[in-house]
Amino acid sequence: MSKKQLTTCYVRFDRNLCTGYGSCLRVCPTKAIRLKNKKAVRIVEQCIGCGACIRACRQGAISAATEGPRMLEKDHVAIALVSPVLYAQFPGVMPKDVLLGLRRMGFAHTIDMSYFLEIFQCATEEFITRNRKSRAAPWPLISPVCPVVVRLIAFRFPSLLPNVLPVLRPVALMAREVKSRLITEYTNKGKDVVLYYINPCPTKRDPVCLPARRRPVPMEIALGINDIYPELAKHVDQIQAADDIPFYQTRFEYETCATGNASMWAMSGGEIADMDIDKSLAVSGMQETISYLEKIEMGLFQDIEYIEFRTCREGCLGGVLTVIDKYLAKAAVQKMIKRFGLGRRLDRQNILRMYEKGEFQSDKKLTKLTSLFGASREALTIEAVQKIDKIMDLITGIDCTACGSPDCRTFAEDVVRGNAALKECLFVDTHSKKKS
Amino acid sequence: MLAILRGLTDNDNPPFINTLPARTRATSDDFKLMPLLKKCFNIKSRDFIRAGEATINVQNILKSMDYDSRLIRRVAICGYEGEMNVVMHGGDGSLCVEVDTDWLILEVSDDGPGIEDIELAMKAGYSTANDDYREMGFGAGMGLPNIKKNSDRLHIESGKGQGTVVRMFFFMPEGGKTP
Repeated sequence: MSKKQLTTCYVRFDRNLCTGYGSCLRVCPTKAIRLKNKKAVRIVEQCIGCGACIRACRQGAISAATEGPRMLEKDHVAIALVSPVLYAQFPGVMPKDVLLGLRRMGFAHTIDMSYFLEIFQCATEEFITRNRKSRAAPWPLISPVCPVVVRLIAFRFPSLLPNVLPVLRPVALMAREVKSRLITEYTNKGKDVVLYYINPCPTKRDPVCLPARRRPVPMEIALGINDIYPELAKHVDQIQAADDIPFYQTRFEYETCATGNASMWAMSGGEIADMDIDKSLAVSGMQETISYLEKIEMGLFQDIEYIEFRTCREGCLGGVLTVIDKYLAKAAVQKMIKRFGLGRRLDRQNILRMYEKGEFQSDKKLTKLTSLFGASREALTIEAVQKIDKIMDLITGIDCTACGSPDCRTFAEDVVRGNAALKECLFVDTHSKKKS
Repeated sequence: MLAILRGLTDNDNPPFINTLPARTRATSDDFKLMPLLKKCFNIKSRDFIRAGEATINVQNILKSMDYDSRLIRRVAICGYEGEMNVVMHGGDGSLCVEVDTDWLILEVSDDGPGIEDIELAMKAGYSTANDDYREMGFGAGMGLPNIKKNSDRLHIESGKGQGTVVRMFFFMPEGGKTP
């Protein structure tokens, strides 16, 4: 296997640290990892960026494809797009102090998400209210906020793609706003701008893996919370210790503000908690998400209007790139909600006017989503399935993973596709002799 | 092959036959329509926790063959409803799928008490489920009507004390992806 295949758009493998223990094989929800020569090798196209393998690896051989803060030293204007999960990493610290800490780290602008989360909430409520009459989309609608869930649906549950809510994700709204306001200003002055997404999970695609012509302009780089935490914590401590903090003037309202509503989004259930929807559910955890999607595909839950899925336990707080424990973080968020209270600040009429213009409509075509994965996985013919069944009879079916595949069926599929040899199975000889 | 099956569906037979004895009934074997792939999965009676697993297995096979996703959705709904019928009312049974390039048959069979009056069972809202099942959220009497709605053709063979065989036919929609 070439070196190139050791990284995906979301995750990097360190060959030297990998001991071939294979704990990453079983946890991968798309069965994208194989062991070759006792080193983990990933099938690049099937990775959906959930980060389950990062969590499972005991050797720390797998890491997210994010950049370290050293990128900040370069000569450009850095804009930080901050996920509300970041505030939960500092219990007892006000969000504005965290944002100030980020600016002291060297970010020229820090964009808080609460403004855009509120727009998303409003647009979602409006879509659902209209859908009650028109039934343009089938119930239950599935939240598009967690990108891993959308990729999982495109990969494993393509028939559920029409259920995904066709409203732009809050992050997309935020990026669009920043691009149209801030960045044009800087590019007019002839300065380079880089957008940094401060994320709790490895879902942001590494721009290096895209072909050069499709790379976003300006540059978009993902930063894990754990990448910036040590330095940020230092600044936050200084700010906390200082007697009085100079008032920091920012140009736009969304550069400093944070609300209870927004901080709640870090938790599972935070998305639906303040929405005006009759019947909604919040599901978190990869196994739970998969089993719920299976049930939806079988026609259940049609009386529910909106389901919020998060593939990490307890929501984004449980993301693999966070620093403090998810239950501590949850307690911090709950404290913050108590302090700020719930409530919205934006003018609903304004948002509805923008909704009428179709500004929040997601333009992602369903076919485009399926083609993301369609090319990578060639369909099996009926003869191939018959062959797989024959191979399954030859091998034991105890899913020992000694061959380097996550389970016996995947191994049989690999054999039929020509990616593995039958003799790689330890049991194939003894078992077939016993049978005859 | 499909033409023969389509011909079978277009005649004036009622959508379900229970008056004829089993041997004279037209089955896929009589038309030499041996499917290219046939797989069966067991269903255990009263096992509510694992109910749906047979359907998920069928779905996974169809998905690995890149069957049309609209068809998979319909198969999934029908399979689950059929499976729940077995789990609630029937004895132990099985869910079989016969797959060909442009059609597939789903067959749910069990050796339970059988259906006395199929026409009545087909009515929306009619259910023989007891209060325990209703408390669990089942027994709305929508199982068989739902299957009828989502399958292209439906055969039910049953009688009191004879067990039940529900056979559902699905045809590839126009322009659908075939394996």
